[in-house]
Amino acid sequence: MPPHVHVHPDGTSLRDPSRLFYQSDSIRRLIIASYWLFIIAAIPLWWHITSIERLSLPTARVHAQAANHLRFPVQIQLENVQDSSISTSLQKLLDDRIHKSHGLDVQVRQQSDPTNPSDSYVIRAAEGVPSANERSLTYPVRPATLPNLADLLTLLLAPPIDAHRVAQYSPRYRLAFTLLNEDAAAGGAISGWDISGAISRHLSPILTALSVLHNFTIESQVQFHAPLAFSPTPIQDGSYGLTQEDLTVFVNSAEWSLSSSVSNDPVLHFIVFVPSASRRPLKILDSNGLPSTSNAFLLPQWGGMVIYNPPTQDTNSNTNANAPLPPSALHSLFSTFATQLLSLLGVPNLPGDLQTTTDALTGWQLDALLRRRTSENARGAYDTLQSIVKLVDQIENMPVGQDVRGDVLDSLSALEEMYTPSPSSPSSTPPSLTTTLHHSSTALTLASRAFFSPKMLALLYFPAEHKYAVYSPLFASATIPLAAAAIREVVAWRKGRREREGAGGGQ
Amino acid sequence: MRTLRFLWVLGLLPPCYCRYFSGETFSEELVIRPLPDGKVASRFEFTTLLHGATPRNPQNLSVEDHSQHYTLFPLALGQILREYAVTELHLTLNAGKWNYDRWGYPEESDVATGASLWAWMAEGSGSASAANARHRVDARWRDLRNALAGLFCASIASLDEQRTTSPGRAFTPVGALPAWPASVQHAFRHASLPSENVCTENLTPFLKLLPCKSLSGLAHLLNPHRLFDADWHGMGLHVSWRPNEGVQVRLTFQSVSDPLRAGGNSRDWSLRLLFDRVVDRACPVAASSRIIVTLPTKELYSVHPEPSSVVDGRGAFDLSDQSFPLDLRLRWAEPFQHATVPSAEAPLSVRRMLRGSAQDHGALAISITNPDSDPVSVVYLETLPWIVYLYLSTLELSVGGVRRPDLLQDISYIAPVPHGRAATLEAFLSLPARSTVTLHIGVGRSFLRYTEHPPDAQRGWDLPGAVVALLPAASGNQSSATDSTNKGAMQEMKKWNQPQRIYTPALLVDPATPDFSMPYNVIIFTCSLIAFIFGSVFNGLTRRFVVLKSPE
Repeated sequence: MPPHVHVHPDGTSLRDPSRLFYQSDSIRRLIIASYWLFIIAAIPLWWHITSIERLSLPTARVHAQAANHLRFPVQIQLENVQDSSISTSLQKLLDDRIHKSHGLDVQVRQQSDPTNPSDSYVIRAAEGVPSANERSLTYPVRPATLPNLADLLTLLLAPPIDAHRVAQYSPRYRLAFTLLNEDAAAGGAISGWDISGAISRHLSPILTALSVLHNFTIESQVQFHAPLAFSPTPIQDGSYGLTQEDLTVFVNSAEWSLSSSVSNDPVLHFIVFVPSASRRPLKILDSNGLPSTSNAFLLPQWGGMVIYNPPTQDTNSNTNANAPLPPSALHSLFSTFATQLLSLLGVPNLPGDLQTTTDALTGWQLDALLRRRTSENARGAYDTLQSIVKLVDQIENMPVGQDVRGDVLDSLSALEEMYTPSPSSPSSTPPSLTTTLHHSSTALTLASRAFFSPKMLALLYFPAEHKYAVYSPLFASATIPLAAAAIREVVAWRKGRREREGAGGGQ
Repeated sequence: MRTLRFLWVLGLLPPCYCRYFSGETFSEELVIRPLPDGKVASRFEFTTLLHGATPRNPQNLSVEDHSQHYTLFPLALGQILREYAVTELHLTLNAGKWNYDRWGYPEESDVATGASLWAWMAEGSGSASAANARHRVDARWRDLRNALAGLFCASIASLDEQRTTSPGRAFTPVGALPAWPASVQHAFRHASLPSENVCTENLTPFLKLLPCKSLSGLAHLLNPHRLFDADWHGMGLHVSWRPNEGVQVRLTFQSVSDPLRAGGNSRDWSLRLLFDRVVDRACPVAASSRIIVTLPTKELYSVHPEPSSVVDGRGAFDLSDQSFPLDLRLRWAEPFQHATVPSAEAPLSVRRMLRGSAQDHGALAISITNPDSDPVSVVYLETLPWIVYLYLSTLELSVGGVRRPDLLQDISYIAPVPHGRAATLEAFLSLPARSTVTLHIGVGRSFLRYTEHPPDAQRGWDLPGAVVALLPAASGNQSSATDSTNKGAMQEMKKWNQPQRIYTPALLVDPATPDFSMPYNVIIFTCSLIAFIFGSVFNGLTRRFVVLKSPE
């Protein structure tokens, strides 16, 4: 009789549970194994759906950018100069003066050379007052004047710039012109202005010249109530004064609706402030408390302000009448605005004693600005890229998606394009300044877009601890019986094998 | 010499010539109307007309727009209109429930509770290209919501696709839609958010859109302390295009104040009583500035100062004739007697409620009373977020308990998409004379995802009010039924050929909400249960059964 067939005492045999099909060892082991198989097979899927997408960033390429430095070749031709020693001594003087950090490779040549690129600078030796034209300079070149000429060229090629004043580079600016009446209801207010005419007369030449750097959106509004947040101090002669401290809090952003809500382009504000009839004339006081001759001031990177005091009316005319801005006032206001705009955009001034024949900007100024903006952008793009790489390195939970990686790669290739022109372009001539600027601006825009990509914040606020807190109650309680069953089965299998071996050895 | 003479003529012109010179006109008007129940309705209207302007054609969105130079027109609004090429735009922010039965028909007809935004925009160019995806209507509608939310500090941005509908008949453009080439079709978008609270933070940007802000003219009366203390208040922004005039922007503020609350059983009012301010100077750039007061017809009264003109029982005060500071006062000879029966001035009376206490189903019941002696046709519009869906098969129309399926002339229903789109039901009903039609329809309530519940989920969801629009063809008979005090608003509606719209109050629906207070406990309990079931099954499958001999 097999040992495990049980016979009931009354003789009827019951079904032996171990002979049920699912009670056989192999089936049970199969069941346990299939559970484990399922878990092991599911791990890659679980890993895939819970892991954060972190594409690799080209770290080495970003760091390699540190070795790159922008070099701008500058060709200067001397015309009407017979003495060949002049060019070598001018070259030497310029090399001493122009600092390495400007990245200028100045080359002075004696005669006009047809192989020279068309954008080289020309110095014409002629007696008289020095004057600058498009890309040329007329100067009395003599061995004695050479140090002065070198100084002048240094100012023209690498002009000093007040970096705090200049607005940050953007491919597009919004120019917002606002005519603010402090209190039109008090009378004598300015009710309108011929803004389109003034812009086309005073600003259009500048904007056209600058169109290689920026696009502009122009808008204007008139406000009839623009209260100040403080009261100007009355001064002796019946006028009112703005102290230097007042100027810092002059813009009353809470009451003047200047902000724009439709675009992210940086805005440069140009404001004409017409004081209330009871506070005229309003003057700006200098640091000694004396009325200054100027009635305009500049807010760095923000815009320009002009205070306009309407002329006092004759007694016979209605003093309460509101009138549009007279053309003469418009002319002087917009000349001021044009100066302020140039200064905000970082256009260098021509050195004081230099005369110019053109109304618009000279090539000297524009090229200096282009060079400065290009190196600024290149530095900015490099810094941003490095910050991204560092940040992603530091925060392990930060996702890096395809778009961030794409932006970083595109920005990098724009940067590399800038330093080493692509083989498709004619290699003999270096790329033009505008192309280089375009590359640098693309690099900066893409790098900033990658840096501020909202997708990089996605999982930052769901730390791993939370995940475990949710998983452990479910998985711990499910895996413990699984593990226990598996261990028990392994032990039973080993025991059975040992017994079988022992039994076999016994025979 | 000629220029000199020209200048001299300019000098002789009244100081306001510049208003026409600049191609922009601004006018302001305040209408004050005593209501039958002793309250006072006031409506401010600030209209700026940009002469000769046309809406931007969205086909040209990729082309650089011309510079925007405005004198009176609000630049912040002009930027939004041009940037998103909006042809017509309406935004209302109202708080409270307009009581049609007691107050009659409002001067500004759009009194839906909370925020409502509707606009007509033409389809932009660029069918497939990704660069032009931002020019499509839906993308611009989204950007427009965001821009307006920023401008008005209101949560209009949350009027997302789940709340956007495009009903066909209840709303018609106030102005005209430009006849651009046939390929440029205008699309209509409407969204409402009944739970929006309207307060000072919305009024401040509203005032900044006015040329005189709140510092002179009628806008000086807009005192937030009083306005937001009123029984009902609401502001509106209406942009439309008039073909022969230009783009018109109307900013309105409407409120219902209660002079009786000030003490003394008197409904006498003055500007100081209503707004705690007086008009102390005129807005220097307003072409016209008027206060219009509806004068009592049956009782004795005194008004100070005297109106410049009285037409049709409405006294007009032109601010250019008045001396400042101006405080209007209206006094009645007799003390106020509370009317026992509210006088029905509105063309229809609409009631709407949600029945059923179950969490997954209920019923919507609407009763519309037509007090008129003529039958009228209306469009009944219901826009419901997807958390509530209608069982159209259960739609039942009855009059006095008798089923009348014949009253339903036409119906259009856009089913909701769960977690995606709102439902739109537009039913064309004809209401028999002097009867109450009851519409009954079964509703189901969806089950929301954990993250879809709003903050304070136990409070429930606000369902936007239904809109009952009287079709213009039938509204010709309406004026006979209405009181003369309300005639002005009615006539104005007819002048614009607008369907009169009646809004019902918002409803509160209470979907099944999980216990938000202890999410972690819920997770643990659920996990324990799953682990228990898993363990039982697993043990059952792998258990070894043995027969034990029981000891004898």
